[in-house]
Amino acid sequence: MVGKVAVIGAGVMGAGIAAQVANAGVEVHLLDIVPEGAKDRDALAKRAVARLLKTDPAPFMTKRAARRVVPGNIEDHLERLRDCDWVVEVVVERADVKRALYARLLPHLKPDAVLSSNTSTLPLAVLKKGMDEDLRRRFLITHFFNPPRYMRLVEIVADDETDPRARDAVAAFCDRALGKTPIPSNDTPGFIANRVGVYWMQAAIGHALRLGLDVEEADAVMGRPFGFPKTGVFGLIDLVGLDLVPYVDASLARALPESDPYHAERAPFPLLLKLVEEGYTGRKGKGGFYRLNREGGDRLKETVDLALGTYRPARKAVLASVDAAKAGGAAALLKAGDRGGAYARAVIARTLAYAIGLAGEVSDDVADIDAAMRLGYNWKKGPFALADSLGLANLKAMLGTEGVAVPAFLDRAIEAGGFYREEDGRLRRLALDGGYVPVERPDGVLLLEDVKRRSDPLAKNASSAVWDLGDGVLCFEIRSKMGTIDAEVLGLMGALPGLVAETGARGVVVYDDGGAFSAGANLGLALFAANVGAWDQIEALVEGGQRAYSALRYAPFPVVAAPSGLALGGGCEILLAADAVQAHAETYAGLVEVGVGVVPGWGGCARLLARYAADPMRPKGPVAPVAAAFEQIGMAKVARSAFEAMEMGLLAPGDGITFNRDRLLADAKAKALTLAGGYAPPEPATLRLPGPTGRAALGLALADLDKKGQLTAHDRAVTTELAGVLTGGDGADWTAPVSEDDVMALERAAFMRLVRTEGTLERIGHMLETGKPLRN
Amino acid sequence: MATYKAPLDEIGFVLFDVLGYETAVRPLPGFGEAGADLVRPALEEAGRLCEEVLLPLNRGGDEEGCRFENGVVRTPDGFKAAYDAFAAGGWSGLALDPAHRGQGLPRTLHFAVMEMICSANLAFGIYPGLSHGAADALHLHGTEDQKALYLPRLASGEWTGTMCLTEPQCGTDLGLIRTKAVPDGEGAYSVTGTKIFISCGEHDLADNILHLVLAKLPDAPAGTRGISLFLVPKVLVGDDGSLSERNGVRCGGIENKMGIHASATCTMHFDEAKGFLVGGAHGGMKAMFTMMNAARLAVAIQGLGVAETACQTAVAYAKERRQGRALSGAKEPEAAADPIIVHPDVRRMLLTMRSQVDAARVLACWTGMELDAATRHPDPERRKRADDFVALMTPILKAHLTDLGTECANTAMQVLGGHGYVREWGVEQLVRDARIAQIYEGTNGIQALDLVGRKLPQGTGRLLRRFFHPLDAFIKEHEADPCLAPMTGALKKAAERLRGATLTIARKGLSDPEEAGAAASDYLRLFALTAMAWAHAKTVVAVLPRAGEPFGQRKIALATFYMTKVLPETGALFARIMAGKGPVMGLEAEAF
Ligand SMILES: Cc1cc2nc3c(=O)[nH]c(=O)nc-3n(C[C@H](O)[C@H](O)[C@H](O)COP(=O)(O)OP(=O)(O)OC[C@H]3O[C@@H](n4cnc5c(N)ncnc54)[C@H](O)[C@@H]3O)c2cc1C
Repeated sequence: MVGKVAVIGAGVMGAGIAAQVANAGVEVHLLDIVPEGAKDRDALAKRAVARLLKTDPAPFMTKRAARRVVPGNIEDHLERLRDCDWVVEVVVERADVKRALYARLLPHLKPDAVLSSNTSTLPLAVLKKGMDEDLRRRFLITHFFNPPRYMRLVEIVADDETDPRARDAVAAFCDRALGKTPIPSNDTPGFIANRVGVYWMQAAIGHALRLGLDVEEADAVMGRPFGFPKTGVFGLIDLVGLDLVPYVDASLARALPESDPYHAERAPFPLLLKLVEEGYTGRKGKGGFYRLNREGGDRLKETVDLALGTYRPARKAVLASVDAAKAGGAAALLKAGDRGGAYARAVIARTLAYAIGLAGEVSDDVADIDAAMRLGYNWKKGPFALADSLGLANLKAMLGTEGVAVPAFLDRAIEAGGFYREEDGRLRRLALDGGYVPVERPDGVLLLEDVKRRSDPLAKNASSAVWDLGDGVLCFEIRSKMGTIDAEVLGLMGALPGLVAETGARGVVVYDDGGAFSAGANLGLALFAANVGAWDQIEALVEGGQRAYSALRYAPFPVVAAPSGLALGGGCEILLAADAVQAHAETYAGLVEVGVGVVPGWGGCARLLARYAADPMRPKGPVAPVAAAFEQIGMAKVARSAFEAMEMGLLAPGDGITFNRDRLLADAKAKALTLAGGYAPPEPATLRLPGPTGRAALGLALADLDKKGQLTAHDRAVTTELAGVLTGGDGADWTAPVSEDDVMALERAAFMRLVRTEGTLERIGHMLETGKPLRN
Repeated sequence: MATYKAPLDEIGFVLFDVLGYETAVRPLPGFGEAGADLVRPALEEAGRLCEEVLLPLNRGGDEEGCRFENGVVRTPDGFKAAYDAFAAGGWSGLALDPAHRGQGLPRTLHFAVMEMICSANLAFGIYPGLSHGAADALHLHGTEDQKALYLPRLASGEWTGTMCLTEPQCGTDLGLIRTKAVPDGEGAYSVTGTKIFISCGEHDLADNILHLVLAKLPDAPAGTRGISLFLVPKVLVGDDGSLSERNGVRCGGIENKMGIHASATCTMHFDEAKGFLVGGAHGGMKAMFTMMNAARLAVAIQGLGVAETACQTAVAYAKERRQGRALSGAKEPEAAADPIIVHPDVRRMLLTMRSQVDAARVLACWTGMELDAATRHPDPERRKRADDFVALMTPILKAHLTDLGTECANTAMQVLGGHGYVREWGVEQLVRDARIAQIYEGTNGIQALDLVGRKLPQGTGRLLRRFFHPLDAFIKEHEADPCLAPMTGALKKAAERLRGATLTIARKGLSDPEEAGAAASDYLRLFALTAMAWAHAKTVVAVLPRAGEPFGQRKIALATFYMTKVLPETGALFARIMAGKGPVMGLEAEAF
């Protein structure tokens, strides 16, 4: 059990790790050296915390979390390590410095504390040279990825000397508390992800130069079509920093034996060095391969011309191969005859061959290697799964034409029929000996993809499906892109009570495996209907949503919403309608409807009011909940984490938060089962709302904002409607409580009035086209 | 010869009474002087030119046609003089930028003048029409130097323009273009290839011809994304605008064709001709679309012009020609027979023509006014809305008004009987002349695809908003008025059909483009008929104060005829659309 943590080294990674520990609710000491002649001996750690608070995307999940980081220095505060269960070293990548530090730390460590290094380039064996016997069994490498809050991979490198309990305790903490996926890696240079990833980047740079591709062209090929981050390689380097590239390359090259194919892909790249010299270190600097030129007053997107080394206006890649990929996927791209196709073949053939050849060296487990690339490099598929999807015979043929040696393990996989295979509804991976073994999921991990492997849906349509999770719990899955909600989703949601009764289930979890729980209503369908004036269809959608959400809330079984990623608008209203929420820590929730010119129309106004009124922690009296809801909805506030959502009242005090994405479904299921015992549906809320007098008061507040020039013309129209809904309409009065249904009728009417305005339709159109709200 | 009187009163009524020209167009920047006091006399002047100069040349132009001799094209007798008079009158640059010697008058006025020209002499109108399109493209996509050099001479009519898209292997599908353009190292390009069917590619009306040519650069990506636009003058031009040597462009011959004999349809050979890039490299489609959109509206007006002449000719004939007796008893017992206009079936034909032509004119002028707002209105939001409306209506007008041109020419022929089939009355020429407008500038089938495939999804239906929302507001405003109830009732029914069809096509077409393709032509017609019903209802609103006068009665009668005898076709169209792609796509190609 890890109760307290210390991080030594307050650089970007150290501070980021400390922040994530703090996010998990654990106190963490952040120590660094005392700068020469410093007045404040804790300056480095303090500065790091200040920087964390300003970083975007935010390393802290709430402001409060920052207070759990205790800054200090290694001269004065080593005694603080005495009650730490885990100490992470994140100092400069020099073995001598690290080893000296370990020796200094040792006397201060708790007897069973674990010490780990976050090194990315130094082998475990080197770090352990000359290490104290006792420390050797509780020392390991925990290699995080940047930024630590958001990247889910942590590579764990241990050896025979390591006490498995020490290793498991830290791995378990990383897994459950920090939400990372610990992947065991052998003590080989670059471990798993960087070994494959750096090779891929070098190959991608070298062959782009050799084949004469533009930066844009290379990135269009080496990005989305293969499920790599859409930045492609040059865009990715801008993100990680151009200055890191030569450093990472050199350290990997130094560590790898001469026989390693990595050396063949290292091409000199003087342009990159020149850019770094001129301060073009990437997005953290003045720009990198891409930059925004603000010289002429406006912001001109520019790109480096790889041949000339100068900036020129950015242009969209126009390649037949990339067009072909849009219809025919990666396979079509690899067949294309243009330079895009040649580039793809050169890089993909080499990268996959290299990765396949690493099986047995960096790890025996292909599923682990794949996971490392997914979680550490944001590849949609790891190299083995990617190879399977391209067809192993095709890959082998491609290696032939590219003149790349065929790894023996690829031949074995061809013989066996793939690196993965599904059997009896279970995913199996190819072991080194050519047999298949099940891909094991840790205890407490339930993946919908596994449920899908072993069973058919109980019901499904184009946008949603219902699955049986076992033990009497059903899963309602929104399958549409970004989890958008349309008539199909609402239809199946409405059918849930029937399905539950039919199957004798005891509870429902609303969950999906995708990156977004739900971005809200399908605006495209609504906008089209509005544009042709099909108002009845829109009204039916609003009413249908209200009915479906209420049906969930008042059904005779518990409903647990389990969001991860976006839960906006109609998605957030599901959280409010559910009996309980089990949220992934990385949940971004908010009632953002005003951004598209409408008010929450699926019960969001009514339920947020009810929630604020019932919350004992919030100010009492009839005005306070209305004012709070008006602010929350009127400013379209979005919570940047589940904790913030809780502070905003979008999650209720009894709701749960899960850090590890893979554990979310199991936790939600457990919650549903807990609620199912003796379950009684909630009573519909009655609300005391101020009516016209309250509306006038909100109007004054608005007039104030207006005077300060903070309201646009259409903001005024939308917030006025919102005020009307939240204060209960014309007939409301403190003394006469109104029902939830009354408020929902007001929501509907206000929604329908707003959706007929030009301002609202322009907002919706703008959001669909640009993904950003329009201020009109 | 066909009968044609320029419909000046009708045009004036549409502009000033139905569409509110004075409050919609005149307040736009730069148009302060272009009020009724200028527009009416200008229309009269144009009408006179059309009636007195162009109309008399129409028959001879058809019979004589263009001649190709030694690489030179001779236009029919009288065309050169007529063209000179046209240019001297300042009509060539009517709506072009005054900064480059154009008259800077509203498009709305230009549309009305074009209609009269096309009514009088369709073949003639193609020459200045193409110049106007070329000027538009240069205006929007050319460099300042190009504009300064070429625009004034297009505006004055000294030079004319063409658009060179079509090649033997490449008609509708411009991605197949083979004409090549290679940089010549001096900032210009060397253009080589063969274009066919080029209207006005060579002629003797003007000193120089500016060809706007679609071609591919050496590194061009495949398909339409790799097309660039080049300006290739017939005679190269010095910096001062003086003509220098002949460029490597020559006419290889002209087509023998069904109609518009006085318009030369040329095969053009470009042999390392000097060309100048217009717009960006590979940006040719964008630049050409500017030209094509303007040209599509111009072709729509060709249809309208021919339809008007056909209608006038048929009415004149039906009032004179005596055959049979009215079914209700002789109308003119003193004569040997009644004029055929007494017969219900002849009236059906005449009213079918007239009620559609009048509504089509309202739509054309309306779109012209929105085009003016799209370019001139000070409020950018309003400009965008106007632009959306024009973008939506362009394929609808191109296809429907050219269909109407052919339909009316043929109906007129039916009214004239055998006398329509022989040459004397000029109706058979109208049939032949009108037909091409359904084919060039993107066949009408392609217009329908543009509507369902491009215009519907654009901005998730944003363009449709510019039609449906004001239409619904119009119905709401007037449905309580008992005088208008028959109009609004019928209009509403059609609007609901159109709305339903739109939603269905959008929904089905999203997952299956063939569904949208199979419905496209029926959908475009449904749209057009509904829009024309709206035009009629607007007309009736405008004419209500004069409901007691003959003019008012006439308009109400025409609207009533349209609503009850033409508009019900929307029911059939709706059913056809709802039938889906199954009946269209079921049969294997071999089984045909
Ligand atoms: C008198 C005359 C003047 C002309 N003037 C000019 C000019 O000035 N400049 C110039 O560039 N061209 C000009 N043209 C050419 C004219 O624009 C083309 O003929 C026209 O674009 C159609 O091309 P096509 O004849 O090759 O027919 P095709 O493209 O072969 O089409 C044949 C048929 O197939 C249909 N079709 C084709 N593709 C599709 C599709 N994707 N979906 C559905 N249906 C399809 C068409 O609608 C048509 O019905 C002129 C032609 C004539 C006859």
